[in-house]
Amino acid sequence: MNKLLPLFLLIFSFADADSKQNQFIARQGQISFFSYTSVENIEAKNNQVLSILDIEKEEIAISMLMRAFVFKKDLMYEHFNESYIESDLYPKANFEGKIIDFDAKSKEQQTKIIRGQLTIHGITKELDIKASIANSNGNYILSGEFDISVKDFEIKIPPILASNIAKTISIQFLFQYQPYEE
Amino acid sequence: MKTKNKFFLIIVLLIVSITTYTYMLPLFSSSEKKLESISAELTLTANDLVATYTNDETKSNALYAGKIIEVTGTIKEITFLNNRTTIILNSTSETFGVICDINPNQKETIYQLKKHQKIKVKGICKGFLKDVILLNCSIDLPTNE
Repeated sequence: MNKLLPLFLLIFSFADADSKQNQFIARQGQISFFSYTSVENIEAKNNQVLSILDIEKEEIAISMLMRAFVFKKDLMYEHFNESYIESDLYPKANFEGKIIDFDAKSKEQQTKIIRGQLTIHGITKELDIKASIANSNGNYILSGEFDISVKDFEIKIPPILASNIAKTISIQFLFQYQPYEE
Repeated sequence: MKTKNKFFLIIVLLIVSITTYTYMLPLFSSSEKKLESISAELTLTANDLVATYTNDETKSNALYAGKIIEVTGTIKEITFLNNRTTIILNSTSETFGVICDINPNQKETIYQLKKHQKIKVKGICKGFLKDVILLNCSIDLPTNE
């Protein structure tokens, strides 16, 4: 039995590696967004973004809680969640995409396009996002920024506040992936 | 008569300014620091919290999301990613846990913590992705363990 045990372990570890080896997870990805206008600057950060990266299928999935965005002022948080995003109805934002021409083995930093669908406020949009991917000791780091238009996601802003909120919002992201272990 | 009017005006102004100060100002500041002094609405274990969330997310959100809850659990991991201090609590299921974003004013306590230690964490529950997320947490160390 003692001789068989290592063998079993070996078989199991290989079987496990088969399905999981290609997946990487980031539980504490960071996404921040900025709205710059002459009236005021609004900035919010979410440090608990979940993402799974599959390097074989070259796919990426991201999910975040809208209520986990932290603002400087409570009023901004309230407006964002109650009026604009309607977080009770749409608590999450999701992204699913494919990394085009991804070279998983490359040790150098590479800039790639991620093509996928972004869902915010219950509305899904096709999107191409430029991201830089770095590989440090087998762990991947994904970062970049892009702009989205408030109008695209049917977010209604009352005319009084229209001058406080930018028409395009810039978004920054940073994910540090670790091998996915169950 | 005129002095009476003036007096009246001053009183009104005073009342207005006091109401603005007490009711409006909190909206323009951040409530991050106040949480520590507020007591939790619900107390439960990390296991129970994760179990209810994996069972029925919508129902659990109605129960816990946006509320201040106190969770007891053992430490799986402490990370310092992106300049945030985060504690991940274990649950019986290996896949799911509780992510606690720790308020920066808890720095002193963080250094006393070890893996697998049992702690109580109080924070605002935000919802569930792969883990339940608690923000703005403060740590309560059990005294005799």
